[in-house]
Amino acid sequence: MAKRITIDPVTRIEGHLRIDCEIDGGKVTNAWSSGQMWRGFELILQGRDPRDAWMFTQRFCGV
Amino acid sequence: MKCGESDLSSLLGDYSRRDFLKVCTASAVYMGLGESFGPQVAEAAANAAKRPPVIWLSAQECTGCTETLLRTGHPTLETLILDLISLEYHETLNAGSGHQAEEFRAHSIEENKGKFILVVDGAIPVKDGGIYCKIAGRTALEILEETAPQAAAVIAIGSCASWGGVPAAEPNPTGATPVHKILEGKGIAIINIPGCPPNPYNFLSTVLYYVTLNKLPELDDKLRPKFAYGRLIHENCERRAHFDAGRFAEQFGDEGHRKGYCLYKLGCKGPETYNNCSTLRFNDIGVWPVNTGHPCFGCSEGGVGFSTPLHSPAQLHHITPPAWFPSATPEKGKGASALAAAVAGAAVGAGIVAAGMNLGKKDHEEDEES
Repeated sequence: MAKRITIDPVTRIEGHLRIDCEIDGGKVTNAWSSGQMWRGFELILQGRDPRDAWMFTQRFCGV
Repeated sequence: MKCGESDLSSLLGDYSRRDFLKVCTASAVYMGLGESFGPQVAEAAANAAKRPPVIWLSAQECTGCTETLLRTGHPTLETLILDLISLEYHETLNAGSGHQAEEFRAHSIEENKGKFILVVDGAIPVKDGGIYCKIAGRTALEILEETAPQAAAVIAIGSCASWGGVPAAEPNPTGATPVHKILEGKGIAIINIPGCPPNPYNFLSTVLYYVTLNKLPELDDKLRPKFAYGRLIHENCERRAHFDAGRFAEQFGDEGHRKGYCLYKLGCKGPETYNNCSTLRFNDIGVWPVNTGHPCFGCSEGGVGFSTPLHSPAQLHHITPPAWFPSATPEKGKGASALAAAVAGAAVGAGIVAAGMNLGKKDHEEDEES
């Protein structure tokens, strides 16, 4: 019987990361990593003055 | 000076007592408390029993606000931040992950109920039930609503938490909402420290103020501490003299730009942004956007940063006084000439002109009588 382990939040990183692992017989059989936060930069950038783009995109990550 | 030597030496580690007092005195002066408050601030900071527990929640953020605190060039700041407060939970800094971190948070909230400071960075998405930011399977909205009422005070750090910032920029795809809007009407003390990122000293001084005086600093109508956000950047800008004299950089790299002229025509938002960047500056080496030749884009001001185009000119709320003023004691007996009335009419509207003409007429009649 497969066992599922979830680590959420993953700390000491920037952002909100979640790791899910499926373990069967002591071996990882499947795993997922998922970002748990979305801001929609692609939608925010649409229709803006291109000279403004850096102001937004450099704020993906502040680390 | 009642500050215990042993308390201080254990707190300071590699830093000298002199450096520590210097920072505390500078903070006291900066908060408007006066130099004599320095020792009191130091005493409060050194007294471990008073260290306020801090729970730091992250929502739609980029961790820039955390970085600005941790990576300051000043040798003592991050140590002071971490030793001054008892940081109980912070996603980026926690040693434990997953359920360990979450259990400790719940435990700490329970233990410090009504005493801890809740710091929030990042906006809170409310669209679609708040699914755009989840921690440990729960929405940031849910966690904030549950945690905030148990805190002594809430500090919203950064523009995202203070007024929405980047994620709330049009069309605000996730319904990103500032912390004070979520907690509106719940009687919770909230302080906003906007900026993208905010100056770490604005945060540090707010915490020191609370630790020393056990109350919140005076806030403006946008819940910002007045000692930091009381003036427009424009008011104390080092290029202000160029603005007043009409000397502007017209384009990046032109003669005016190379000479360090005012950046207003390149879209500087200093005239509508309330912050202390022009006096406090950043990175402990006195830099800020304007002295590197880039206009301020109003990152800390709601409705300016991330909402008005970078290179569109700022709204001037306080226009420079003109070089020439009309006389305060006009010569009597002449009345308003037809030409002057027409010019004035174009400028200030017919009602005032009519009043002016009457006044002139009256003066004229007086002259005739005399």
